[in-house]
Amino acid sequence: MSIANKPLSMTINGKAVGPLNVPDGLMMIDFLHEYVALTGSRLGCGQGVCRACVAILDNPDGTSEEIRTCITGAHFFQGKKVRTIEGHAKLNEKGEVVELSQIQQKFLEHYSFQCGYCTPGFVNAATVLVEKLKRQPVDKDQVEETITEALNDHICRCTGYVRYYEAVKDVVMNTPGLVKGSK
Amino acid sequence: MANLDLSRRSFLKASVIAGVSVYIAPIGGKAFAALFEDKILTPIKWDSKDGKAKFRIDGMAKVTGGKVFARDVRARDMPHWPDQQSHAFILRATQADRSYEGFDLSLLGEELQPDRVVTAEDLVRDGVKFPAFYGEDMLLPKGKTPAYLGHAVAILIYHEFAKFRFAKDTLKFHNEIIRYGAVTGPLERDPWGTFRFVRIGGATPYDGDEFSSLKNAPVFPNMMRKHQPVWPDGVEHGKLGEQGMFYADKIQDELDHPSADWLVFDREYNTQSIDTAALEPDNANCWYDADNQALHMIVPSQGPLEVVESATEMIAAAKARFPVKQLFVHPCFTVGYGSKDHYNVPYYGLVCALYGDGKPVRFANDRYEQFQTSIKRHAFKMHYRIAVDRKTGLLQAFKGDFEANGGGRANFSPSVAMVGATAAQSVYYFPKSDLATVAIASRAIDAGSARGYGTLQSMAATEMAVDEIAEKLGMDPIDFRLKNVLKSGMKNTQGAIPAGAIRADEVMEKAKAHPIWANRAKQKAEFEAKHPGQRYGVGFACVQKDFGTGAESSFAKVEIAEDGTISLWHTGAEIGTGMSTSQALAVQKWLGKPAGDAHFGVTDWTDLPVVTSGNPYLMSQAEQDKVSANPRWSPAYASPASATNSAFYFTHSTREAARVVFMQGLWPAAMAIWTQGIGGGQASPLVVRVEDARWVDGKLSAGGLEALPFERLVKKAHELGLVTGAIVHVFNRWRWSEADFEVTGKPVRLPIDGLSVKYGSGAKPADKAKMSTKGGYHVLDRKKVYIPDVQMNNAAVTYYSAVGTLVELAVHEASGKVEVLNHHSIMECGSQLSPQLVSGQLQGGVAMGIGHALHEFLPLYEDGPGNGTWNFNRYHLPRAKDVAVWQQTGEVLPPVTETDPPKGIAEVVMIPVVGAIVNGIAHAIGHRFTDLPVTPEKIQEVLA
Repeated sequence: MSIANKPLSMTINGKAVGPLNVPDGLMMIDFLHEYVALTGSRLGCGQGVCRACVAILDNPDGTSEEIRTCITGAHFFQGKKVRTIEGHAKLNEKGEVVELSQIQQKFLEHYSFQCGYCTPGFVNAATVLVEKLKRQPVDKDQVEETITEALNDHICRCTGYVRYYEAVKDVVMNTPGLVKGSK
Repeated sequence: MANLDLSRRSFLKASVIAGVSVYIAPIGGKAFAALFEDKILTPIKWDSKDGKAKFRIDGMAKVTGGKVFARDVRARDMPHWPDQQSHAFILRATQADRSYEGFDLSLLGEELQPDRVVTAEDLVRDGVKFPAFYGEDMLLPKGKTPAYLGHAVAILIYHEFAKFRFAKDTLKFHNEIIRYGAVTGPLERDPWGTFRFVRIGGATPYDGDEFSSLKNAPVFPNMMRKHQPVWPDGVEHGKLGEQGMFYADKIQDELDHPSADWLVFDREYNTQSIDTAALEPDNANCWYDADNQALHMIVPSQGPLEVVESATEMIAAAKARFPVKQLFVHPCFTVGYGSKDHYNVPYYGLVCALYGDGKPVRFANDRYEQFQTSIKRHAFKMHYRIAVDRKTGLLQAFKGDFEANGGGRANFSPSVAMVGATAAQSVYYFPKSDLATVAIASRAIDAGSARGYGTLQSMAATEMAVDEIAEKLGMDPIDFRLKNVLKSGMKNTQGAIPAGAIRADEVMEKAKAHPIWANRAKQKAEFEAKHPGQRYGVGFACVQKDFGTGAESSFAKVEIAEDGTISLWHTGAEIGTGMSTSQALAVQKWLGKPAGDAHFGVTDWTDLPVVTSGNPYLMSQAEQDKVSANPRWSPAYASPASATNSAFYFTHSTREAARVVFMQGLWPAAMAIWTQGIGGGQASPLVVRVEDARWVDGKLSAGGLEALPFERLVKKAHELGLVTGAIVHVFNRWRWSEADFEVTGKPVRLPIDGLSVKYGSGAKPADKAKMSTKGGYHVLDRKKVYIPDVQMNNAAVTYYSAVGTLVELAVHEASGKVEVLNHHSIMECGSQLSPQLVSGQLQGGVAMGIGHALHEFLPLYEDGPGNGTWNFNRYHLPRAKDVAVWQQTGEVLPPVTETDPPKGIAEVVMIPVVGAIVNGIAHAIGHRFTDLPVTPEKIQEVLA
């Protein structure tokens, strides 16, 4: 077979990237790791099952969704906007973290992760959930079920999930507007 | 490429081994921080009121996607490496019953051919071979039968990523590219190891044994016949092994011809091979710089020192073709659950570098390859015969035969088989026992030190057995357990008395009173009425897990700088369990606050030059006595990190170093302040004892004296030239080595075997002159050492922590699916270093246990992962819905006193849930399974 390169441009974490010459058929995770040096999206299974590689796709209509970078070709993202784990925290000019996202902060406070390999996927999934709840809040008694449905596909081998889920619940219950009736 | 500038990068020169200078830049160390923009560790944030950390010190890097894992690192991240990164993958044989005859890469066409192919012929020609621990045929030569499924045959190296990517994808699942010759049948080999532990106790559990491994000796086979052990003939007054077999024969006879009061229970249990499924697949990124004769290795490892030693061994063998004068190792934070301890990937990475044409080569498994090659948990076959007195309900005898499938390479299989057998008694006292265990060699993938280490296998079976025996006796399962529970001071099946308080009985009492247990009959009736088609069950199991290896050793260094900064260095590596956080916290017991500056995976201990020789498990007492005359000798150097050795063993070295700084630095500094002034100062009217010393809000007080701020004490300690830094080395063979030292002119006995100290900035010139190591330490050669006798090796284990788990579950009759509705665990773990980390370990361990009981399964041979087709689509790891994520609860027994040492719990937490689930299924449907996992298909068969 021959390797056919095509120019590829997209927006990653708010910054324009490309055009870069990228082989057709290359998966997004390889593009992130090897072409733009973003290694926080982790390879877990390479078949879209474990969700360690999940990034966020920002749609033109303002909605966001999880996207599995290990089974999605890099060229799918041509002209699209994507967020990876490296794009959540606010950094200063030296690249040091000055403020974590709400989800990241709560994961930290709840001791949600252990080895941390799956953490980027959980941060992205929980962030998408919070953004969805901002648009479509749920009843208080549906919060746990909603979190389970949103995160259940994500595999963690270390933690048994409890502290991830409790942290997300903490965010959902204490962020005005995510639960019906809360302000 | 940037020039390598050692002074600027401040690499730590660890040692010179076999003529090779070894440099270590551990992650979190200054040298590593210089390589990466992101610091992995942030100073610990803690609450001075309750002493708890606010978050993990590695948390910030992990939650922001920082380069934490070796897998995240590329050549371009290493300032002194060439920018171009090469990549490699390995071709593997997927048939192990015929000779290997080469491979065919024509599928790749011309464009995707590798830049370099490495085969066994290259390795033989160049003198490159595995370190001895890993066995032979690192790459299989043509004409030989693969020793196991997935045996490596060739390495393909690419200098361009895209070519690598598409070539690897092209060859994926095309096992036909490997050529085979004549069918030979699988290799037949002797077992990797075999042991037998026989014990006949005295009149009571507290009396001396008639025969036991500790008192006498374990039994070893005379020889192997047809690859099976041949045990000695029993002779009452014969050699130790013959005596052991005499008593083993007696037990056998009693079980064969039991008294009328005895119930002899007979079951076979089988437990499966599983993948540890560490989410970071194995990898290495290495560079051989031929011009400078330097080898650089970025590797994830639970034992960085093992990598250093083994890499040096490889380099020495290949020095004619690949001369190396300098070895640079960069250990990284990792995760492995045992599967990255003594695993062979670093050495394949090393070989990739040697043949990388001067370029750094990255070798990183994908998940299929990870299943195909990573170290597995041993499958066990177990045959139990247990006698119990029907009238008293007391256990009488236990005969257990264990077969652990060690797979293609020995790795730690002998040890796992031994630990599995010695753990089998679990929380119960048996007056007589005969436990024979063998680790067999097979064509399965190597099994090794996977979390549980044999004990998950044997203790889960014991819990299934005990539950069933209780049913046969018509007794409540917890009452039966309580009747037979091992109590403090009773002996284990090796004849050793476990350390300290054994509190399994307290765990059981709590479980008995818990609503899940107390209300189970009522709940079953109500649940089944409400949920037609579902059967409700409650199961319980309780185990105690030994922790430690019988040769645990570590270094720790604690220093207090004049500005009050507490720094900690430790040999332990972070493997996800939070040891970096817990060790930083551990110093506060003596120093009043956690270490703000901490370094792990440290291998440079030239300031405390400890040497080791011989095998700590096999050496004779005479040999130990002779070599221990060297005041710097210890039976072992430094242990790899495991899930269970940080809390107890690593904390010991951390706290002993901190204690030396306190006793020889801060306390005398405090006394100097309290006694200053006329008539002996404020201390004079009071009785001042060091045992009354207390830290409150960062201030030290004792017996009514003024509370002195830490910073003031540190300043005074420096001013007076007192001890402000201490390095300790410790060794434990089921108890700690102790030694006599003279510190600042005073004799002191400490539970350590090596000590160096640093004096404060105001030290007298004579003391400063003694601080002659490169780091400014005074090495205090011990005056006398008290190393545990080698006989203690026969104790096998003495440290235990107990956990009991109650499980509520529902069996869906139509699908056979088991739904875990809820679980509650009760844990005994001494004093907790960090409650958040402890509960996190419990929750994670229970999830892994649920996977073992219900979901995870790997066929051992041709249909198994060795064929390269296994991944998470067919290997079900528990998800949140599988573990009762919102319902589960746990509790920790309060320590007996606050002086209880912390205990290792990360393995024990996963074990009771396995037995509890199987017992719960029995409660639900009335069938007792003996093979794991209990799949829906098996349940459907029973319910059909």
